[in-house]
Formats: sequence, C-alpha cells, structure tokens
Amino acid sequence: MSGPAEPNRLSEPAKGVRHRRGRLIVRGICLVAVIAVLVAARQTHWPVVVAAMSPFIAAGSILATRTVSVIASLGLAVGFIALLRTRWFCRWICPLGLCADGASHMGRRCGRKPATRLSVGRWIVLLTLAGACLGYPVLLWLDPLAIFSGAFAAGPAVIPLLVILALSFTWPHIWCSRICALGAFQDMLSSLARHVRRRTEEGRRPQRWSLPVARRTVLGIGAGAVLASAARLAHRPASRPLRPPGAIDEPEFLGVCVRCGNCIRACPTRIIEPSLSEHGMASLLTPVLQFRENYCLVDCTKCMEVCPSGALVRLSAEGKASKPIGLPQVDMNVCLLGADRECAECRRWCPHEAIRYVWSESEYTLIPQIDPQKCTGCGACEAVCPTKPNKAIVVVPLGDSTGG
Amino acid sequence: MDHRMNRRECLRALGLSGLTAGLGWTTAPSARAQGVGESSGFQSSVIDARKVQDARTAATIVDGKVIQPQRELPILHQTDVLVVGGGSAGVVAAIAAKRAGANVTLVERYGHFGGLWTGGLVVLILGHIVKGGKQVCQGIGEEMMRRMDKLDGAIIDRRPGVNPTVDAEAAKYVMVEMIEEAGIDVFLHCWGVDAIVTGNTVRGVVFESKSGRQAILAKMVVDATGDGDLFAAAGAEFEHRSHNVGLVSRIGNLDRVDAEKAKETPRPRRLGSATPAPGVNWVNLTGPEVDGLDLATLTRMEMNHRKFIWNNVQRTRQTPGYEKVYLVETAPQIGVRITRVLNGLNRVRLSDLKAATKFPDVVGVGGASNATHGEWQIPYGALVPTTVDNVLASGRCISMDLGMADLVRLIPNCFVTGHAAGVAAAVAVQDNCRPRDADIAKIQKILRQQEAYLG
Repeated sequence: MSGPAEPNRLSEPAKGVRHRRGRLIVRGICLVAVIAVLVAARQTHWPVVVAAMSPFIAAGSILATRTVSVIASLGLAVGFIALLRTRWFCRWICPLGLCADGASHMGRRCGRKPATRLSVGRWIVLLTLAGACLGYPVLLWLDPLAIFSGAFAAGPAVIPLLVILALSFTWPHIWCSRICALGAFQDMLSSLARHVRRRTEEGRRPQRWSLPVARRTVLGIGAGAVLASAARLAHRPASRPLRPPGAIDEPEFLGVCVRCGNCIRACPTRIIEPSLSEHGMASLLTPVLQFRENYCLVDCTKCMEVCPSGALVRLSAEGKASKPIGLPQVDMNVCLLGADRECAECRRWCPHEAIRYVWSESEYTLIPQIDPQKCTGCGACEAVCPTKPNKAIVVVPLGDSTGG
Repeated sequence: MDHRMNRRECLRALGLSGLTAGLGWTTAPSARAQGVGESSGFQSSVIDARKVQDARTAATIVDGKVIQPQRELPILHQTDVLVVGGGSAGVVAAIAAKRAGANVTLVERYGHFGGLWTGGLVVLILGHIVKGGKQVCQGIGEEMMRRMDKLDGAIIDRRPGVNPTVDAEAAKYVMVEMIEEAGIDVFLHCWGVDAIVTGNTVRGVVFESKSGRQAILAKMVVDATGDGDLFAAAGAEFEHRSHNVGLVSRIGNLDRVDAEKAKETPRPRRLGSATPAPGVNWVNLTGPEVDGLDLATLTRMEMNHRKFIWNNVQRTRQTPGYEKVYLVETAPQIGVRITRVLNGLNRVRLSDLKAATKFPDVVGVGGASNATHGEWQIPYGALVPTTVDNVLASGRCISMDLGMADLVRLIPNCFVTGHAAGVAAAVAVQDNCRPRDADIAKIQKILRQQEAYLG
C-alpha cells in the first residue's frame, strides 16, 4: 500500500514540500503534547502513554514477563500500523525523532557529514528480543520513547537524551536511521509484512531474500541469549537496590525496566529516584527507593499503574502489602533506644503496627523488633527515624537482612 | 511554744512561706501554724499530740481479716479548686486556676514540686516544639522557662527549634516562687489516697500524711497524680496500662574526660545528655514494660535499676579516659511512665495527630518528642470523665489511645494539659456548673489571656 505513494511524492515536489511542512506541524504538536503530558500531568496516569506507544517496549515486555497488559496493547496497535506503513510512527509522532532531526539539521548547517557505516538498530532489536525470551530484554532501555520520557523525570535522567542530541549533531541522522531500536523494529515489521504480502501475491516462497535475514537473526538471537545469560550470571552488585513495590526480581528487572521515569514522576511522596553510580552501571537510571523524608503510602499503587514495561507488576493495595518492598534493620549503635534516649517514633508511625520494643535484660535496654508478617517495608519507620546523619532503622531488600 | 520551732525551721528550709498561709485556712484550730516562737537552741521537747491523732482508730483483726473501723476524718481544709499532685501538670494547673480567680489548694506527696520533672530528673523539656521548630508549649510552662532564663545555670538549649534542658533544683525553686506569688495553699507530704464522693460528684479528697488521715473539701478537684489515683478512687472509668518503668541518673566529671586516651576506645554508650551543671549529664533509662501500680514490681525496679546504674558507671570508669566520671545521683523518684488512663468524653488519638484534626473544644496543643511531626490538639473532652463529675484529669493520665502515650506524658505536654485543667476547674467553680457543662469559649478565652497556645 505504501509502495505507490512514494513515487507520487517524489514526482510532485510542490506537494512534497507542503506535505513535509504539514508533517512538521503534526510532529511539533505531538512533541509539545508529549512534553506537556510529561511535565504538567506528572502526577497522573497520562505519562505512561508516551513509553507505552512503543511496539518495541511492548514486544520486549510481553516476551520477558509473559503477560500482556492493557498498557502493552497501545504499543501493539502502533506496531500493527508499522506493518502497513513503513516508519509511520517515526514520520508523524516520535518526539525524540523531531529533536534528533533538529540537532541533525544544525549539524548539517555546521558542515557535519552523516555517518555511513554504523548501523546497529536491528542488532539491538534482535539482541533484546532474544534476551527477552529468556526474561532479560538486554537493551530494551534504548527505546527512544523511554529515553525521552525519562529525560523529564529527574535531573540526571536527561543525560541519555543529551547524548542522542550530541550524536545527531556530530553525525546527522545517525540516531533515527542507524541506532534507534524502535525505528529498526518498525523496519523489520514492515519488511516482514512485505515479505508475507509478496509470498501471498506470488504464491511461492521467496528464495534470495530470506537468507541474510535468517543469518543475521540467528546471530542476533544467539548473541542476545548469550548476553542475557551473561548479564544474569554477572549480576553481583555491591549493594542491592531497593525497588518500588511490585518490582520483578533482579536481575530481570534491570532488563525489563526501560528507565522511562514514569514511576519516579508518578510517586506522590517522591521516594523513587533514578539510580546513579551506587548500584553499578547495570542499574543506571533504574528506579530505587529512598525513605529519607517520606515513605510508600499504604493505599498508593501509582508507580505500578504507570509502568509501561512490566518491570513493576500491577498489584492492588492489598497485593502490595503481601509483597514486601524490603525489611527494616535496626542499628542499635545508632538507635536512640540503644543509648537509652527517649524515642518511640518508628513504632508510632508504623502504619501496620509491625514494630514492638522488646526489653533485653542482658543489654538493659529496649530493642525494636519488626514483625516480618506485618511489615510491608513501606519505610515509614525509616522516614521518621530522628537520628542524624544516619538513620538507625533502614529498610533493606528482602534476603539482605540479617535479623532485627 | 518551743515545740513548734522545728516545724517552722523545716518550712523555712523548704522556702515555703506559702505553706503557713495554707495552714491558716485549716478548720482544725490546733493544726494552725500560729504562735510559733523563735528557736532557742538545738534541743527536743515533748509535743502535746492531740489534734488529728485523736481521731485515729487502729485497724484490728476480725475472723482473721484486717478491719479498719469506720471513723470520722478531720476536715483539714476547704477550697474551690483542689489540685492533687504537685508535678509538672499539677503546679501549672494550680497557678492557672488561681490566676483565673479561684481559691486553690495544692497537695503533693513529696517534699518538693515538679514530680517526675524534678524528682524524677526528667530535665529535658522534650516535646516543647513541633516539626519546623515551632514552639507549642506556651503559657505558664513557658513562663517557668523564662524565669529560669534569668537564673544562672538554670537552663540550657533555650534557642528556637530546640528542646531545652533545665536544672532540677532551679525548676523546684522557680515553682516555689510562682506558687508563693500566686498565693496558693500548699500541703506537702500529703498523699491523696481516696476521693470523697456523693452520688457521682466528687466533693473532696482524703489524704494520708505524717499528721494522719484527713480530708480536704473542694468544689472541684484536678487529678494531677499522674497515675489517676483520684479519678479511679472516685469511680471514673479508666484503662490500666503497662509501660516502661525506668530510673534517671546524673553522672559528673564529663568535663574531665581525657580526650586523648578516650580516642583509643569506643565511647561508652550511656553517657546521657548535657545539663546546665558543668560536666554533669543526665542519663535516661527506659526500663522494662511493667505494671507501674504494682508494689512488688516498683520495689524490684527501684533495686534493679540502682544496681544497674551503679555497675554501669563503674564500667564507664574502666574505659580509658573516663576514669574520673562518677555517679552524682539516681533520681529520688522512679520513672513510671503510664499506668491508669482516663476514659474521657473525648480522647487524644494518634489518628487525629496524623490527620491534624482540629477540635472546637481545643484547650491545648501538644508537641513532638523529636520534632518529627506537627502539632496535635487536645480536646477538652479528654480531661473530663464520662460518669463522674467535678474531677478533671491532667498530665499523663488524660484520656488517650495507646499510640499517644509517649507524647501525652512528655513534660511540656503535661504543662499544657495542667494549664487547661486548672482554668477549666476555675471556670466550673465560677459558673457553679459541672466540668462537662463548662463554657468552652470562656475556658479558651482565659487560656489565651494566660498566653496558652491553642493552635
């Protein structure tokens, strides 16, 4: 269907210019709308739409988590359109594409030449989807919509976007045509559609076309599987991060999370932050919890509702309570009770009445004890702990605690 | 008249000229501190000891049971407002009621004012402020702080957003000064042991002292006993709770710790916090959760805690650099935190603190122990018993849920509830009504006049 349209456009330059201008207006409107949603509606569910539009994320997420969420259906719809119209999404909607085009345009004006060699988009797709089948979609986070979405979530998360703009300026169009996994995925979808169409039209199996793709596919899938396994085996971070509620297990989380920043944005108490260097490179920009000032509200499920990739499984408030975020640990060398100071803050503010102070005759002092059956790891105790600079009670990931 | 001199000397030593005025109110003429002569030397004389002893009837054994025969009690005194308990809540309640225009009598079981604040050495005014540093303890409590500001070595950490620490002796002195200025009748060494009740109305208090069992009649009683002894005796509904019973101590010579030697070993854990006295720290002790009304328990706590404190200071002295640290004193009064808690018309609740609930009948605002949360309002109903009239609760025994115990019992919050109870009792006397029918607007107006903070 798209076949006859292209020669028409090329043969009528005047119409082509008008068409391009019209497209530019549409893309501009889309860019403004996306930024408006990401900035103005940050506390609502709307930001999820941005990353959820990506069929690449949808495919990676479905393969990795083996569940199809409502959110993923939007990406599937966009993917379906890509079957019919080559790079339809890139040409009309992609906000990052417009920004990269702008940078490329400036680069060209400054005399920069487009790159001709590097072309990695398809490899990224193959690696990632192969990894996804093993539960670890290696490079899913390179999705442009996730990167664009993340740039508006928290300070340091803007860096990937800046890197893309800098690349586009230096080697114009390098991102969209040679790196972007979403673009490459759409290309693969439309060529698949062409292939199927040709087969049905010609009524026979194509011979010369399938071989190089098959080789590349086999190589890519193999490499993806190796990478995914390697990532799992090599997963030995110095300190395990505390993930938002509903997070799937590590290290799969590292692959499935697309670093879109939706959870960071949606959190009403602002306890989700992008990880920087503290949990290693693999965790870079993934969401981690901190309970310095606030905690995970008992009846809030927002972060899970806005996760486009399934890294945070959607749980109800009750479901959240039964899947603890972590377990608090008390350092009696810091705890005021250990120094016989008067304090009852963590017990008072625990929403689940999970903390008791137990008298130790040998230590001749009170020791906070946490009931793991009642505790959800919400961090209210840590948020309210008055000791400075270190909190005496700290929520640690499950399995890291060595007892009260 | 020589036999009266020892009493006089004793009163002087306590700095309690107000007491003589108080005794002047006594209905039994023989108990009046009149005609006291000057001391003529160091001697002892025989006292004509009729007075209250006449009324004493020894207990006896009937069928193996110890029986106290029925007897008439001497009425020592009559008053408008009787405050039972001279701790942080009771002293403020008495001053507030007196300033609101009532005749006020204060009875206290020990020989000094301040209760756990001074006798218990709980010298940290914890709960003075809320998150953000705003000071919510105002009114008479704040007046005491201001008076201590003017005394040398009486108070430290008096800066905005910080909970101050006072010197216990300075606090005792300031309370004597303020009670004398207010003109409150005082009876020390009086342990309120029973309520005088007709129907559902409290009419006074029976107390025990070295002078025997006597009565004080009052139009209104403020229960500032901490343990709710009076409202419980009067038949009010209450909850009996356990809590941690500890014992505060003070250690000295911390300014003579050898810093060079101390570097090599970890700092001893129980060094407490600074007090206005140089080199002296006060050291808290939480203690186990027990029944603070149980005699055997209290006895065990007193003995165990003193043993522990002594041994702990010895351990500290064995730490290099800390050899000169010594135990100044253990608190005379054991640290009972919560025992009886009133079932009031209303209740101070943790949920209301979290929701920052505002009450139309607010009579005080409580602070946070570690400035971790905002202010919480105390409704008048939390001081008023459900079934018994003419008695108001104040201090750590007001109506509250379990989650609020560790806030309600703090010293400044006791000032605040004492202030409210004192004013409310005076208003009820003036308007000749039951406390539950008292004019809230009038109570709030007087509280504000007395510079209390009501949010």
